[in-house]
Amino acid sequence: MTDTPVVGHRKFLDLARPSRQHLLGYILIAPAVLMVAAIIVWPLFVALDLSFQQVKIPRLGAAGKPFSLANYRWLFNSREFWLACWVTLKLVVVVTAGSVLVGLGTALLVNNRFRGRTVARLGMALPWAVPEIIAVVIFAWMFDSSFGLFGWLAVQLGLAGQMIPWVSNAGAAFWAVAITMIWKGFPFVSIMCLAGLQSIPADYYAAAKVDGAGVWQRFRWITMPLLMPVLGVTVVLTLLWVFRDFSIIKVLTGGGPLRSTQTLSIMTYDQAFQYHNFGRAAAVGVLTLVICVLASLLMLGRRSRSIY
Amino acid sequence: MKRTLAQSLALYGVVTLTVAMILFPVYWLVVTAVTTTDELYRLPPTFWPDNPQWDVFVRVWEARPILKWLANSTLAALGSVALSMLVSVSAGYALSRYSMKGGATMGLFVLTAKMLPATLLVIPLFSIFSRMGLVGSLWTLVLAHSTMIIPFATWMLKGYFDTIPRELEQAAMVDGCSPVGAMLRVVLPIATPGLAATALYAFVLSWADYAYARTFLVNSPDNWTANLGITTMQGEYVTYWNEIAAASVFVALPIIAIYLFLERYLVGGLTAGAEK
Amino acid sequence: MANISIRNVSKSYGSLKVLEPFSLEIENGEFVVLVGPSGCGKSTMLKILAGLEPATEGRIIIGGREVTDLAPGDRDIAMVFQNYALYPHLTVRQNIGFGLKMRGTARAEIDRRVEDAARILEVTPYLDRKPKDLSGGQRQRVALGRAIVRQPQAFLMDEPLSNLDAKLRVHMRAEIGALHKRIGVTTVYVTHDQVEAMTMADRVVIMQDGIIQQIATPDELFNSPANLFVASFIGSPGMNFLNAELKGGRLTLFGREVTMLGATAHEGRVVVGLRPEHLLLGEAPVTFPVRPTLVESLGSEKYVYFDAEGARLNEGDEGRSKGLIARVSHSGSLSKDEDLVLGFDPERLYLFNAETEQRL
Repeated sequence: MTDTPVVGHRKFLDLARPSRQHLLGYILIAPAVLMVAAIIVWPLFVALDLSFQQVKIPRLGAAGKPFSLANYRWLFNSREFWLACWVTLKLVVVVTAGSVLVGLGTALLVNNRFRGRTVARLGMALPWAVPEIIAVVIFAWMFDSSFGLFGWLAVQLGLAGQMIPWVSNAGAAFWAVAITMIWKGFPFVSIMCLAGLQSIPADYYAAAKVDGAGVWQRFRWITMPLLMPVLGVTVVLTLLWVFRDFSIIKVLTGGGPLRSTQTLSIMTYDQAFQYHNFGRAAAVGVLTLVICVLASLLMLGRRSRSIY
Repeated sequence: MKRTLAQSLALYGVVTLTVAMILFPVYWLVVTAVTTTDELYRLPPTFWPDNPQWDVFVRVWEARPILKWLANSTLAALGSVALSMLVSVSAGYALSRYSMKGGATMGLFVLTAKMLPATLLVIPLFSIFSRMGLVGSLWTLVLAHSTMIIPFATWMLKGYFDTIPRELEQAAMVDGCSPVGAMLRVVLPIATPGLAATALYAFVLSWADYAYARTFLVNSPDNWTANLGITTMQGEYVTYWNEIAAASVFVALPIIAIYLFLERYLVGGLTAGAEK
Repeated sequence: MANISIRNVSKSYGSLKVLEPFSLEIENGEFVVLVGPSGCGKSTMLKILAGLEPATEGRIIIGGREVTDLAPGDRDIAMVFQNYALYPHLTVRQNIGFGLKMRGTARAEIDRRVEDAARILEVTPYLDRKPKDLSGGQRQRVALGRAIVRQPQAFLMDEPLSNLDAKLRVHMRAEIGALHKRIGVTTVYVTHDQVEAMTMADRVVIMQDGIIQQIATPDELFNSPANLFVASFIGSPGMNFLNAELKGGRLTLFGREVTMLGATAHEGRVVVGLRPEHLLLGEAPVTFPVRPTLVESLGSEKYVYFDAEGARLNEGDEGRSKGLIARVSHSGSLSKDEDLVLGFDPERLYLFNAETEQRL
C-alpha cells in the first residue's frame, strides 16, 4: 500500500534520522558562535590585553608591550577617574529616576480608556524614535547660551537673573545633559510599563473595587506589585543605557566643562581617540564593563536572565 | 466605569498638556528650521515665524549631501541587519529547539555582550580594522553594528521561536520534511511577524549609531552616515541652527515614519523580553 | 498497513531512565492504546515510534522493515497531535496535502486524495479556510484528514482528544473508532484517560514510571488487573481498597469474617479490592450495615460514600478521599445519616500483596 520509496538510506548526512537530529543544533548555532568569536570575543581579549600594556597607539601584530598594571595603577590614582565615576553615578541616578517618574506617569495616563488614546500613546513615546543625535541638536539649541529657549524661560520665570551659560557652567551642563537624556529615555520606560499594565487582568481591579479599595489603594496593592517585575528589568536596562551612552554627552557638551559631564564612557573614548592612550582607555572600558555586569547582577540577581 | 464630565475634561486636559510638553522639542525643531537667521538670534524667541522660510529644506538639501548621508546610513543598516539576521535566526532557532552542551554558557555570555559599552569595543575594533585597512569603509559599520545586533536579535528570536509549538515541526517531519525543511517551510513563515519586528528594531538600532561612525568614518566624508553628517554641521565657525534643524528633520523623518506606521512591531520587539 | 514490532526499546536522559525496556508486538490493523498518568513514558514511546526522538536502546520494525534509525518521514507513518499541530499559515487543503506534496506526488493526485479525505471526515466546506477559522472539533478532523490522506502503514495518535470539551470528546471518540473500523490501519493511541483506553482499544498497554504494568484487552484489565496500580487506574469510580490480614484463607472485612474460596497460600497483610459496582444494596452473600457520609444521585444510580475500618484512602484520588464508594442501582430516595445495608460476593474480591502490590 505504500507509495513512498525508501529514500532514507540514500540521503547523504540525513539529519532527520533520530540519531542525528541533535547535530543540527550545533550546525545552526555555529555561524553565530564564529561571528561572535570574531567580532566580540576576540576584540574583547584584545582590549583586555591592551589594558595591561603601556601603549599609546597599538599596532596589531606588532610585538606587545610587557604585562603591566600601570594603566590600572594610574587610574586608581587619578582624580579624573574618580570624578568620572562620580559623574556617572550622579547621571545614572538622576536620569533613571527621572525616566521612571515620567515614564510611569505617562504610562498610567494612557492606560486610561479614552477617545484618541492611540494617538496620545504614539505621541508620548515619540521621542524614543528620534535619533539621539537629533535630540541633541534640538536640546543644544534650546540650551543655547545666548538665544536658547530654556535660558529665556528661566529668566521670564524669575529663576535666573540672566541667560544661563548652560554649556560653560559645570552645574548647568550636568542638568542640560540629564534633561536631554530623560526626554530621550523615558519613552522606553513608558512603553514597557504600559505593556506591563495591560497584562494585569481587569478582574483584579473589579475584585478590589468590590472589596472597597480606593484609587490609591488599588495602585498601591495591585498595580505596583504586579508591575514590579517589568519595572525592575526596565530600570536596569535604563541604567545600563545611561552608563554606556556616548553620543548624547559627546555631542552636547563633549564631557565638559572641566569634565563635569565626563562619564566613564566619555573618558574611555577620549583617552583613546583624543589623547591616544589606548592602554588607559582599555582599562577604563574594562572597568566600566565590570561595573555594568556587577550592577545588573546585584540588582536583578537570578532574574537577570529576563534582561534578554 | 463612567466618568463625570469634569473628570473627562480633566483627563483630556492632562493628556493634552503632557503630550504637548513631550512633543514640544520636535515642534521646536521644525520652527527653528523655518525661521530666518535674523529672527532666530533674537529674544524673546519666535514661537511661530512671521514668514516661515520653507525653502530652507531645499537649500540644505542642495548645500549638503544629505541624500548621500541617508543612503550611507541605510546601507550600513541594511548590511548589518542582513548579516546579523542570517546568523541570529539560525542561532535563535537552535537555542530554542535543541538542548546543547554549553547552551547556558552561551546565555550568560550573551547577557554580558548586551552590556558591552560601545566605547570599550570600539578600541580593539579600531585596532583590528586599521590593521585590515578597513577604516573609512562602510564595512566597519556593518561589522560593528552586528556586535550590537547579534546578541539581542538572537535572544529576541529565541523568544519568538519558543512561542511556536514544536509539534508543528514534528508534524512536518512526519509529513516528510527534513529538519531544515521543517524550519524553512513551517517555522519561518509563522515567525514572520517576529522576524520583521526583530529586523526593524535592529535597523533602528543601527541607524541610531554615532560612536562607531565617528570613529571609523570621520576622515571619509563620502561615507558619512546621517548622524555623523549632522554633527559636522555644528559649530564650524557660526552655527546656523535653522540649517542644522532642517537637515535634522530629514534625518529624523525615516525613523519617525517607521515608528508611526510600524509601532506595533517595534513595541512588540521591545517588550518581548520583559513580559515573561 | 502493517504490524509493528517494538523490541526492548528503552530511553534514558543521562542517568535518568524514562522508559524501561519496552517490548510489544502489534498486529496488522490492531488498535493499541498506551495509557497511564502523565510522566509514565507513554508519549516518549510514541515519539520514539515516530522517529522524533532516538531510542537509547532497542529496535523498531514496522511492516517487516527495520526503522529504528529512519527519519520520521521515511517510516510511512502518520501522527495526530494533542494540539492538532495544523500549519497555521496554510489552508485546510494545503494542510491535508502537505505530506503528499513533500513526497512529490502529482498535483492532480494530491487534489483527488485531499478531496477524498475531506469527504470522509466531512470537512469539505472548510477546505479553503485557515485553521484559525475552525472550531476545535473541525481542527481535529483536519488533523485526522492529514493522517489518512497519505494511506500510511500506521497511525500514531498523541492524546488527540484532550483539547476538546467533554461532549465533543465522546463524539470524536466514537468517530475515531468508526474511522479505524472503516480503513483498518494499525493504530497506536496514547492517552491518560482510562475511559478512552477502555472504549477504543483492542488492547491496552498500561504504564507507570516508564514500566509496562499490564498488556491486555479492556475486559481482561477490568476483570483481572495484574496489580494494585492497574486495579486503581481502571474503572470509574475507582476500586475501593481496604487493608486486611489473610490467615488461613480467611480475613475480616467490614466486621464480618470472610472465607476466600480458592485463595492463595499467602498469609499476612493484604490489600483487598472491591469495585463500587460490586457492592449491592441488600441481598448478598455477605452483608453489613453502614451509615453513608454522602449520597450522590445520578438518577437511576446512586453513589453511596461511607467510611469503614481499614479503608485505604488515596490522597491524590478525588473520589477516594471522600471514603469508600458503592455504586448501587436504586431509583428511590436514599439519604445520608440513614442506616442501610450493603453486601458483596466474596468471589468478586481482589486480593493484592501489600508489599509487592501484585495480585494474589
